[in-house]
Amino acid sequence: MMWQQFVSLAGSYPLALRGLGMTVVLSLISLVLGTLLGFGLGILRTGGSRLLSSVIGAWVDLIRGTPFLVQIFLIFFILPEFGIELDAFTAGVIALTNLAACFICEIVAAGIRSVPSGQVEAALASGLSRWQRMRQVVLPQAMRIVLPPLVGQYVLLIKDSSVVSAIGLTDLTRVGWLVVQRVPNGLLVFFLVGVGYFIVCYPLIMLARRLERRMGAAHGEVQL
Amino acid sequence: MTKAGMTQPGLTKTGMIDFRDVNKWFGALNVLRDITLSVEPREVVVVCGPSGSGKSTLIRCINGLETIKDGHLIVDGQRVGDPATNMTQLRTEIGFVFQSFNLYPHKTALENVTLAPIHVRKIPRAEAEQAGRELLAKVGLADKVNAYPAQLSGGQQQRVAIARCLGMRPKIMLFDEPTSALDPEMISEVLDVMVAVAEEGMTMMVVTHEMGFARKVAQRVVFMDAGAIVESGTPDEFFSHPKTDRSRAFLSKILRH
Ligand SMILES: Nc1ncnc2c1ncn2[C@@H]1O[C@H](COP(=O)(O)OP(=O)(O)O)[C@@H](O)[C@H]1O
Ligand SMILES: [Mg+2]
Repeated sequence: MMWQQFVSLAGSYPLALRGLGMTVVLSLISLVLGTLLGFGLGILRTGGSRLLSSVIGAWVDLIRGTPFLVQIFLIFFILPEFGIELDAFTAGVIALTNLAACFICEIVAAGIRSVPSGQVEAALASGLSRWQRMRQVVLPQAMRIVLPPLVGQYVLLIKDSSVVSAIGLTDLTRVGWLVVQRVPNGLLVFFLVGVGYFIVCYPLIMLARRLERRMGAAHGEVQL
Repeated sequence: MTKAGMTQPGLTKTGMIDFRDVNKWFGALNVLRDITLSVEPREVVVVCGPSGSGKSTLIRCINGLETIKDGHLIVDGQRVGDPATNMTQLRTEIGFVFQSFNLYPHKTALENVTLAPIHVRKIPRAEAEQAGRELLAKVGLADKVNAYPAQLSGGQQQRVAIARCLGMRPKIMLFDEPTSALDPEMISEVLDVMVAVAEEGMTMMVVTHEMGFARKVAQRVVFMDAGAIVESGTPDEFFSHPKTDRSRAFLSKILRH
């Protein structure tokens, strides 16, 4: 009985690899795009325009205050009603990118606000443009505050990506559902699914911990 | 105000910094009251007065770190606060030294000095670094070129901050209590650098209570109280023969230390 289950499980490994690959690819694309978008939004959030800042703030609150599953359903099932057809992968990338961007936006904004105003004044006084102040003075200092929670957020987002199984994407979680129909041992199957996520996330957890320790250094730019 | 051009005060005058009836409020607080003050090219003006009298606000208006409510302020022939004035460009002509140094902590002394010359003045990196090294040597920090601010004493940091301003070859230098945050034994090394800058003919406005510095290089001392210029005269007139009760009270306080 047990033996049969193991044989059957071993036979499912190509499917498991596919699922792992889907989780990694989806997460990677969404985290890269989400990081770029999140930094952009974070910079705008702390920039001059009160209106822009509150619009972004409202969007971020909305996304953070609703379940990710609901967001994915809205994108995948509701947008087509308005003539925007998306395949499941694109819908998953859009939803996860948006979620990542919203969390990262707030992390970046907090980092930017932590830079003492005297730094911005010194940069202003020497005639640096808005972008030069951001790029040369504010962001390098904000990164010290941003990096540890940013990497921690990546871990949370990779785990959140499991929700895309709900719109039929064959990621690690959905592979678990598929395999458990053939191998009726839910404990074992989902234990292995958990191991899969852990293997992806653990290096990031270590990195976050390392960064947190390094932030103690008094000067110099942050190096990974 | 009548026709534009006709009434642009200061544009025909030679004043490097020209305040005309400037007022500024922070909420209900009239922090600058009817300020009229003209600083000539190469002139050194020391501003003193009790804490909260508006000294910082006064000089921060000059490079637009604060905005004025009414009156006119003309700096290097350009009207501050006028939408037609390119403030970013004007700021490149004005060095500002802060009480708390405000060096960039993630950049070395040399990088602090070369940042704006490279990115704003578009000077080639090698050339900017050469000039930066010379400036740091001039303020006595040739051996600290690659040090980070956290590795420098307060006096050394403030000298880097002055070098950082000089790197832009400004027409005007503003100092906001440059030695107030320093341990007493470091004050003179910073004042010496400021004296050298003054003797090279820089137009300067310096908020400070250092009488020795004022007597040595200032043409004029301006005394502020409660947002207004109460008294103004040569250092000798002001320190030896203060004319108002308020300036006498102020001087007796700073002399006790
Ligand atoms: N950003 C600000 N908002 C509100 N009040 C301010 C601000 N900056 C300064 N003030 C007030 O304006 C007055 C003058 O300040 P300041 O120019 O810093 O004086 P000083 O440099 O002579 O000590 C003080 O009463 C101070 O509390
Ligand atoms: Mg002050």
